[in-house]
Amino acid sequence: MRNDIFPASRCNILLKRLICLFILLLFSILPGTSRAGTEEKILQFWAMGSEGKLIRVLADRFEKENPEAKILVQAIPWTGAHEKLVTAVVGNLAPDICQMGTTWMPEFEAMNALEPLNSRLNLKNGLSEADFFPESIKTARQNDVLYGIPWYVDTRVFYYRSDIARSAGFNKFPETWMEMYKLCSEIVKAKRQANQPGYAFSLPINDWQIFLMFFWQAGGELFPQAGRETVLSIPEFGKTLEFLKRFIDEKLAPVAAGKDMDLLAAFESGYFPMFISGPWMISEIIRNKPALEGKWTTARMPMDKKYTSFLGGCNLVMFKGSPNRDLAWKFVDFLSRPDIQADWYELSKNLPANRLAWKDARLAQNSHMHAFREQLEDAKAPPCVPEWEQIADVLSGTMEAALFGKTPSGEAAEAANRNIARLMRVQPESMGKTAIIIAASAIFLLPLIFLVIFFRTGPGDGNRSHRTPPGMVLFFLAPAIIILVVFLFIPIVASLFASLTNWNLYGLSDPSKVNFIGFDNYRRLWEDPVFWVSLKNTLLFSLLGVPLNITLSLASALLLNRKIVKFKALFRIGFFIPVITTMVAVAVIWRWLYNPEFGVFNQILKTIGLSPLNWLSDTWLALPCLIFMAVWKGFGYNMIIYIAALQGIPESLYEAAEIDGANASQQFWHITLPMLRKTSFFVAVMTTIGYLQFFAEPYIMTGGGPLNSTISVVLYMYQHAFKFYNLGYASSIAYALFVIILAMSIIQGRIQKRLEGSV
Amino acid sequence: MTTNYPVGITRRSAWLRMIGFHLFLLASLILTLFPFVWMFSTSFKPSGEILSGTLSLIPISPTLEHYRNLFGAVNLFVNLWNSIIFSLVLTILSVILNSMAAYAFAKIQFPRRERLFALLMMTMMVPGQVTMMPVFLILKYAGLLNSFAGLIIPGSVSVFGIFLLRQFMMDIPEEILEAARIDGCSEIGIFWKIILPLSRPVIATLAVFTFIGAWNEFLWPLIIMLKESNYTLPVALANLNGQYNTDWGLLMAGSVLVVVPVILVFLTAQKHYMKGIAAGAGKE
Repeated sequence: MRNDIFPASRCNILLKRLICLFILLLFSILPGTSRAGTEEKILQFWAMGSEGKLIRVLADRFEKENPEAKILVQAIPWTGAHEKLVTAVVGNLAPDICQMGTTWMPEFEAMNALEPLNSRLNLKNGLSEADFFPESIKTARQNDVLYGIPWYVDTRVFYYRSDIARSAGFNKFPETWMEMYKLCSEIVKAKRQANQPGYAFSLPINDWQIFLMFFWQAGGELFPQAGRETVLSIPEFGKTLEFLKRFIDEKLAPVAAGKDMDLLAAFESGYFPMFISGPWMISEIIRNKPALEGKWTTARMPMDKKYTSFLGGCNLVMFKGSPNRDLAWKFVDFLSRPDIQADWYELSKNLPANRLAWKDARLAQNSHMHAFREQLEDAKAPPCVPEWEQIADVLSGTMEAALFGKTPSGEAAEAANRNIARLMRVQPESMGKTAIIIAASAIFLLPLIFLVIFFRTGPGDGNRSHRTPPGMVLFFLAPAIIILVVFLFIPIVASLFASLTNWNLYGLSDPSKVNFIGFDNYRRLWEDPVFWVSLKNTLLFSLLGVPLNITLSLASALLLNRKIVKFKALFRIGFFIPVITTMVAVAVIWRWLYNPEFGVFNQILKTIGLSPLNWLSDTWLALPCLIFMAVWKGFGYNMIIYIAALQGIPESLYEAAEIDGANASQQFWHITLPMLRKTSFFVAVMTTIGYLQFFAEPYIMTGGGPLNSTISVVLYMYQHAFKFYNLGYASSIAYALFVIILAMSIIQGRIQKRLEGSV
Repeated sequence: MTTNYPVGITRRSAWLRMIGFHLFLLASLILTLFPFVWMFSTSFKPSGEILSGTLSLIPISPTLEHYRNLFGAVNLFVNLWNSIIFSLVLTILSVILNSMAAYAFAKIQFPRRERLFALLMMTMMVPGQVTMMPVFLILKYAGLLNSFAGLIIPGSVSVFGIFLLRQFMMDIPEEILEAARIDGCSEIGIFWKIILPLSRPVIATLAVFTFIGAWNEFLWPLIIMLKESNYTLPVALANLNGQYNTDWGLLMAGSVLVVVPVILVFLTAQKHYMKGIAAGAGKE
């Protein structure tokens, strides 16, 4: 009887088409056959971002000079580079040569992944250490072993509007801190008199690089003496914070520094006549702001005791176990040649690490470059310790707390010293061998025991009238279950195991260094204030976001399902578009909406006579701002699910109700809502789980700040896993969150059951 | 159309209501579309105009420069093809595997069904970021790195998908299935001829979600693929960024390129949201 509803012929045609398409696609996904052994030697080279494209020009030239070599360049986006490199090291799949940021060096040295290069350097007529900036070569050295060759350097200088400085009475950029402070006050004073908006200086308040420059200028040192309780010069630290805080307190610099596209525009309008940046900014200004020609230039850092700036850049490293080390070195050597370095500057605008290249006319005759050349003589790289990322995080956090006025500068300096000293402390001792074996078997037995108990205590399944043969059940279930076991259950058990170890960067490439430490990670978690803050933020986010999201999505689904709506498809896609719009574009727009000066929200507040707010830079407002944005971006998702579910409600029910005289609201409460029960359960569970794993918005918009007011549990976990490489600790964060979500779901399920009978 | 209203409301006021209603929808639409339109228009603005500090929606001097650069910077057709293969195969596979499992959980009786399902649900509460490293190692030992199989298979079954479809399938009246069984229809027949057609709207939803997820996936293809010729579009586009500077025009042109196919897929899936077979079959 149902065959007239579902004509077999149609199904068969559809089936055939699907199968054909599927086979076709299957063929195209089979791994390509590997090429037969060629005589060429292939060098794998990983370069980051746009540099991965530009390096091709030089690689071609190298290939011409060395016909036996073939260089395979793979470009790795900056955003995923850390993750890519770590997995490559763990999976033993690292390339022959790789570009590596100077602050990443110690991490990969600690992983024991890099090839020592001492024996290849300082040979007769070859490359020598003296060719490079001394600070730069220090970034590649660990205990007298050289693990990399500086490729390009990068330092920070002041960019300033020379015309505005001149009208404030400064014909050249100040040489000292006090003069610089005076310049800023003069600029702001002139602005206030002319009733112009803006500040003197765009000062990022949670940027460890900026902080370190001034700290060094004040004569401060990190790790002045090895192995002591004092890991930084506390008085200088406090003095630096105090100095920077004056800029914020006296409104010479805003709490929300220029970002993205507004920095250049603000530089042009004079809103920010001064900022600190790197060499890439020169070409950005020349290309995008030609009208500014002659009105701006660069200047060396002012001094308190020194003129020091920050030194960054990239080294070239070779990985252990590469079969073509000699050829790889040849390429490194080639890239370090002064003429090639100057060409590379022209291609990429990266500053040559080889000092001889600076004699090249392209660098020597560029007037904006002089400040950089001068600054490079007094630029310092952060100390080479594997825990650097975590130390940097402490520095940024301390700077933020002090500049916000949350902690007095002196106290902040003491706290930073304590926190960094704790980070540097040695790892806990591992357990004995037998204990490890007992613990390891326990960890695999526990899930097993859990499973057995879990399945034995389940509610009995009532026997229905018909029985399905087990073969049928297997047919439907087995494919899904096999894939889930291999790619979900096993990884989950493995990461659960990891949460009981001290798996960190030392153990990444050498599993023998991974120790079983029992519940230490969980104990540490219990005492970790940032974890509790992140948990509070996550719960707050879910508590506010989930009901908002569900209400909005159900309301829009119901609206769009009404018969009177024309152009349904248009509205559906319209409301769904935030879901599919790239997060990057969404972030740009929302940062603009929230911009304290130009943003739409503050414009509205000003028009109705209220005082403007600091939105994303406000410790109270930042989280609600992110919630609002997340709901806006996400409600279309649930709306689509509701629309699909509304299609499943038989029309006949409404027709019958109408005949019985039920009005629209009665129809909604007695037909629509009950019929959407199962879907609503799904939506509620999924949305709650999703919001508890809140990550993308703070990751992109605020990075967890200001003052950790938007850090979420998953973001915190992610930072530990892929920024600090504490994979063990990261796993323990994940399982703590798991327990919380589980508890909430059980409660949710109970409530659901009590409200509506069984689900 | 007007039959929807209680008797007594005049045609004219019905029209007014309808227009007001649409104006409200239109206003909401503009709010949601704004970033999208901005992204689109920015991709046609010259760089100097993008950095002018005002976010105008209409380019003053439109240019195709960024699209031209995009073709030069990225091996567009290779990356596009990779993205299409990855997303399409994953979507098809995921619809097949998830709907089979969902059918078993919704309509077939077998021992410990509810417990097994609860166990699956629990796995959703583990953040995906922690299992990344183990999955990577499993793929390495299986020799599936750098292949599309390695990219697709781990994501082809999702508890989310099974859950979504199961919730919908549970609402399909048992009587239809019983009647089919009496008619001698096999379980596979019931699945193919009754369950799947009745679940069309929700399957379309799952397909859209899976496709979008795969299409936008960034980290996983980057980690799995060891050759640039295997990169998907988002990975290739991410390479356009420098460490510190961003070419906004190029980035937005790339984003437009990524979004347009998703919209096409969504519009295709739309057709399955029409009331039709589902409503008819529910009558019984």
